[in-house]
Amino acid sequence: MPARVKSSTQGSESEDALQVQRDHEAIAGLADDLLPALIAKLAASGLGEIEVRQGGWKARLRMPAATDESSKSAAKPLEGHAGRGQVTGRGAAVVHARADGSERRSTPIERAVEEPGRIAAKSPAVGVYQPRKDLAVGMRVRSGERIGHVNVLGVNQDVVSPVDGVIGSSLAESGEAVEYGQELVRIDLPERQTGGDAGRVDNDPSVAGKA
Amino acid sequence: MFTKILIANRGEIALRILRACRSLGVGAVVAYSEADRESLAAQLADEAICIGPADAKHSYLSAPAVISAAIVTGCDAIHPGYGFLSEDEGFADVVRAHDLAFIGPSAEVLERFASKEATRRILSAHGLTTIPGSTMLRDEDHALEEAERIGYPVLIKPSAGGGGKGMRLVRNARELESIFKVSRSEAKAGFGDDSLYLEKFLEENRHIEIQVAVDRFGNAIHLFERDCSVQRRHQKIIEETPSPALTDAARQDLAERALKAVSAAGYENLGTLEFLVDSKGDAYFIEINCRIQVEHPITELCTGIDLVALQIRIAAGEPLGITQADVVSNGHAIEFRILAEDPAKDFRPQSGQVGAYLAPGGPGVRMDSHLYPGYEIPSYYDSLLGKLCVWAPDRAQAIARGDAALRELLVDGVITNIELHRAILANQVFIDGKVTTSLLDRVGSAPFVAAGNR
Repeated sequence: MPARVKSSTQGSESEDALQVQRDHEAIAGLADDLLPALIAKLAASGLGEIEVRQGGWKARLRMPAATDESSKSAAKPLEGHAGRGQVTGRGAAVVHARADGSERRSTPIERAVEEPGRIAAKSPAVGVYQPRKDLAVGMRVRSGERIGHVNVLGVNQDVVSPVDGVIGSSLAESGEAVEYGQELVRIDLPERQTGGDAGRVDNDPSVAGKA
Repeated sequence: MFTKILIANRGEIALRILRACRSLGVGAVVAYSEADRESLAAQLADEAICIGPADAKHSYLSAPAVISAAIVTGCDAIHPGYGFLSEDEGFADVVRAHDLAFIGPSAEVLERFASKEATRRILSAHGLTTIPGSTMLRDEDHALEEAERIGYPVLIKPSAGGGGKGMRLVRNARELESIFKVSRSEAKAGFGDDSLYLEKFLEENRHIEIQVAVDRFGNAIHLFERDCSVQRRHQKIIEETPSPALTDAARQDLAERALKAVSAAGYENLGTLEFLVDSKGDAYFIEINCRIQVEHPITELCTGIDLVALQIRIAAGEPLGITQADVVSNGHAIEFRILAEDPAKDFRPQSGQVGAYLAPGGPGVRMDSHLYPGYEIPSYYDSLLGKLCVWAPDRAQAIARGDAALRELLVDGVITNIELHRAILANQVFIDGKVTTSLLDRVGSAPFVAAGNR
């Protein structure tokens, strides 16, 4: 792989100003997207604590033994906020070519609109997806547990479950070419914790819940 | 010809490459980062694939991500655009190792011209005058010695740098001593290579570049020059062709010498040779850019030749198909780089959501931009929103069309440099064709804007 990069895009200006701006972005991002999503996830999953790292930021949420009722009401007012800006779909269809040459066309709007409370393991890179051999619907997995890999030019990158949960339906087939961030396997939360009003959960691949 | 090309870039150039692919009848896949999911190129493309997160290190600058995307989408070539991986010989080499074509010079050619210092040596051996400069600097003492020999003021330049980034002006030995170590660590941090060299600083100069195209069979043409003297901190903001500083005989001579030297040195594909031209009209070669340039459209407007299509055809192994006699430069063209920057606040880059957007039109007006109403400008990348280019039979009419087009151009929601462009167009120094590269930095942009508002 190339060891150095000779030029970045032209026209970029003062690094300081950019950094300040990125920091502001990051703070806004935390407040607008991450925290509500985390609170919803915390409420829905019944996890005790979630830690998230994104760029230079780290956020940790801890919930001291709350009842189901109180956690739901805590998540409720934030629902709309958490969902804001996430429903906008791409205008164009994305074609996923499979390794065998066939193509599957999916509209991004289909892919972007997620069911409430839906959580999925996402692809860490662009490459060819291979689920773990023993993966089966109904199997219990822990947060961070490897459930497959994506082969990137011969190097395997782990696909991990973002939460403690139960393996649900497959969203990509074995040997399928996948893009970065693509949902691969649905992870259902254990029965007792899935509430109808759990709120949308944005499980970005960089956001990994930790119990 | 290729069957499908992966476009490994973003913004207006991704769109420009997509358009070239379509006009050639070649398939195209737009590779985008998570921050560019809503980009116009990704939306207009027949195929688009997300290659990584917003951070370019893990997307547009990630060779494995880009190559993997090309393979899984069935592409047989990669177009790197400008910036990012476009002049990385290591990347070009890995692309070829995966049986894909790199649209640009071969890895060997890129490697030969990778170091500016070596390139100057090669091309001066082939007849181009270069600015007095040093070899690679060993240490501070060596730097002081070389600066003394060349004569102050001098520029400290990172060998791996580009687009004026990391350059420092030094007027005396004391300044050189205080800045040397900083420059070295900046070069290391910015380009992963701390090699530095010195170059004599020409106080009042113009930046003039020659566009060339060389195919695999040794056929070579030049497409005349572009004058990029309107700069701010070494970043070009307005470019025009022909240069108002050169006579017809002088531009012909410079273009021919440049072409002769570069083809003798074994160059291949599209390239741009940059020169500094001093007040006496002497042209000094400074560097070669082995990629499509941001300002390529003005050459297209005057010659009628699609440079991106030509670049793709050369990379596919096709002959140029035209000779020098076919290249005629007609009329005058000017490009305005529309940037999301606030001239009132030290050109701080802006991000945010574009409200209304209206591109200008009319005879001789071309807008290359990835903007659309509601587009969210990501904060991760450069501030280029697009390029407004105008063509007219002569320079005075081109300036008039430029002003009319800038007045029509509407970009709501973010602060841009549109008014600065209008102010420069109205300035007598620009009208007289006498702008030098240091003018904007010396007087600042405020007087231009203030004068323009009167």
